[in-house]
Amino acid sequence: MARRSPAKVIGGRLLQALPVILLATFMVFSLLKLVPGDIAVTLAGDNATDARIEEIRKVYGLDRPFLVQYGTWLGNAVQGDLSQSLLSGEKVATSISRAFPNTLLIVSIALLLALATGIPMGIVAAIKPNGWVDKTVSMVASLGVAIPGFWLAMILVAEISLKLNWLPATGAKSFAVSPLEAIRHALLPGIAIAAYGMAEVARQLRGSLLEVLSSQYVRTLHAKGLSMTRILWQHGLKNVSVNLFTIISLLVNRMLAATVVIEAVFAIPGLGSLIVRGAIQRDFPIVQGVVFTMVIVVIMVNLIADLLCAAVDPRIEQ
Amino acid sequence: MTREKMWTTRREAMALLSGAVAGVAFGGDVRAQGTPKRGGILRISAPTNPSSLDPATGGAGSDHAFLFTMYDTLTEWDFETLKPKPGLAESWSFSDPTTFVLNIRPGVTFHDGTPLDAEAVKFNLERNKSDPKSNIKADLATMASASVTGPMQVTLKLNALDAALPGILSDRAGMMVSPTALKASAAGNVARTPVGAGAYTFVSWADGEKIVIKRNEKYWKPNRPYPDGIEFAIIPELTTGVRSVTAGQNDLIYQLPPRQKVVVERSKDLKVFNGPTLYVFQIFLNWAKPPFDDIRVRKAFNMAIDRESFVKAALAGLAEPAYMNLPKSHWAYDKSVAALTPYDPAQARKLLAEANFKEGTTIDLVGYPDQDSVQRQEILIEQLRKAGISVRFLNAPIAEASAAFFGAEKRGSGLLAAWTGRPDPSLTYSLMFTKDAYYNGGRGAVPPELEAAIKESRASEDVQIRTKAFATVQRLVMENAFVAPLAFQFELVAMNKKVQGYRPNLLGKPKYDDVWLES
Repeated sequence: MARRSPAKVIGGRLLQALPVILLATFMVFSLLKLVPGDIAVTLAGDNATDARIEEIRKVYGLDRPFLVQYGTWLGNAVQGDLSQSLLSGEKVATSISRAFPNTLLIVSIALLLALATGIPMGIVAAIKPNGWVDKTVSMVASLGVAIPGFWLAMILVAEISLKLNWLPATGAKSFAVSPLEAIRHALLPGIAIAAYGMAEVARQLRGSLLEVLSSQYVRTLHAKGLSMTRILWQHGLKNVSVNLFTIISLLVNRMLAATVVIEAVFAIPGLGSLIVRGAIQRDFPIVQGVVFTMVIVVIMVNLIADLLCAAVDPRIEQ
Repeated sequence: MTREKMWTTRREAMALLSGAVAGVAFGGDVRAQGTPKRGGILRISAPTNPSSLDPATGGAGSDHAFLFTMYDTLTEWDFETLKPKPGLAESWSFSDPTTFVLNIRPGVTFHDGTPLDAEAVKFNLERNKSDPKSNIKADLATMASASVTGPMQVTLKLNALDAALPGILSDRAGMMVSPTALKASAAGNVARTPVGAGAYTFVSWADGEKIVIKRNEKYWKPNRPYPDGIEFAIIPELTTGVRSVTAGQNDLIYQLPPRQKVVVERSKDLKVFNGPTLYVFQIFLNWAKPPFDDIRVRKAFNMAIDRESFVKAALAGLAEPAYMNLPKSHWAYDKSVAALTPYDPAQARKLLAEANFKEGTTIDLVGYPDQDSVQRQEILIEQLRKAGISVRFLNAPIAEASAAFFGAEKRGSGLLAAWTGRPDPSLTYSLMFTKDAYYNGGRGAVPPELEAAIKESRASEDVQIRTKAFATVQRLVMENAFVAPLAFQFELVAMNKKVQGYRPNLLGKPKYDDVWLES
């Protein structure tokens, strides 16, 4: 079977992404318009009369038909203009380019931590299933899944920032300006999000490793006299890596979603805080812009995961 | 805890406890805390991103905490009583009932060097009155025209005598923006590039993240401001904001809810300030539809509420029970009105019986779904139940709830919300208790004598006549029970020991005029 070139694959996938972006932004736009509450009231200020609110709708073009408003937004977005916040007037692209690195840093740290702890845990648990190591790992993993991230976050702040004063309690620093400070600020939120990821990676890896290790070819490898270490590293992990890539891609998406809460706890001006502010104030250009960015990120992550899976397992038809 | 412990010094406690002690010297508090020093950056945790940094186009009451630092106003107010006092205008007078003369302080310039003269003031007032994006047109409704009658004198022609003007000019409408900056701006506003004549000049604003301002070296008030600059970190989550102060990343946090009092008091490194404000929790009533179209039901509803207990249970005691829309320390407060709304569940039951209001009929009220609001609702439900009134809260986020209650939908019979202070009480009353006012949810009719009294309260500059007119207004509002005021929330501000010279004010919107930092 002839394999298509990676470039073609990527191009094809990006093309498929277009309807997804269109649908996602349209749905979010519709939801924002369906939900009661109106940015015109906010824009009109404290002393507003009905007439004034009507006037504001006209001034800001909020009285135009729903589809016209969406069309205008889309038309601008296609030309690379995500327009600006209705309230503060800041360009949405500016807000996003400032917020995105903060979110990206937290998610990266969380992912690294989750993998660095989850993978060894999964492996040691799978080597001797039902042994005490396995049981301990299971318990830790259950805790990781059960503990809400925001609670863990507050405990971490209370102990590590307020009591011990090791890491800052709130805020974010730019990675480009001072990488070390940026990481110090992102570490606690990263840990708070990583707990769930660690548990997920450990459990899934244990499960798939057990399946592989109990398969017939592994028995053959044992019979050939291969050591457990070699079987594990050369055959076991390679075979579960497809699962692992899938888990990671799902995890990244989940972690992105988790930032909405965690960023509020740590006062981090990232994408999560941005979309919350936009949604509460019905400032739809902001919400649309963030959704647009998130959809692209999710699609990219899934694409990379698929490409990696195909790279390690040629059976996967691209 | 004793009352006195809430204030850092006894002196301040005195100044606050009796609003009448307006004679406490301007620098009195400051001296009690040591000699003010220049320098340092004041780091503030702010709860909301401003809606705009242009006073004319912005809309949120929370914007003032930023605007006041960059824009000076034509008049200012006394911290304790909100009486207007000179600001950028050295003096003002009504030369006849419809002519208002403002004498502008000489030698003041905007941050961009533009002189702040009569031309600049006229330009600003006209813009505020007629720019399509201006949100403060209504504030200047009585101004027919503004003209320059001297290099430092502006004369306003009015449609009618408006004694509220000096108060109005201490707020958004009196914030002066550089005309040069306005003319140069593409959008016709300076929402993101504010240029005023205030104590601090604008440096940067990253939405939802940070606002940085630095000292205006040419500021007209001697030796002010003390800090080199202010950095506002925008932290909407208040518990997080408090943590940023306890952890030393910020110096001060304002607009804390009462439930944070115990939290901030637990920290030895923080000092806590509080004082009464005009911010009042209240239930807006829709008196255009049943059951509140019956005055007896409205009265019974008001009498069923035990405000003293409400303050203790819902607001940690950090509030003043409200029997009208003005707190005790306000200059126009009228003591006799407070007696009109006693806590009397038995009388409430009697009134309900007279009105043929069947016990157990559920009244739908609109409210907000956050933790604090729900707690307030639970207390009220219980209090009202004792008088045989069963209420149910239909909760929705603030924007939705307000739109549903005040807008076309007319959801519910009442809305448990709050009313923020206005610089002149006439605004508060005309915005809620006139026939077509937006905050008269049902647009229900009001007695002609109430509308007349509201008009009259603006029609004289004589404080005594005004006070009398307001007494009539307050009495008529409470006699008709058009609203159920609950409690005036105290301003709650926490800061570390470095911060000196902070004073709460009755408006409840922080001003940092005399704040300085100990190194």
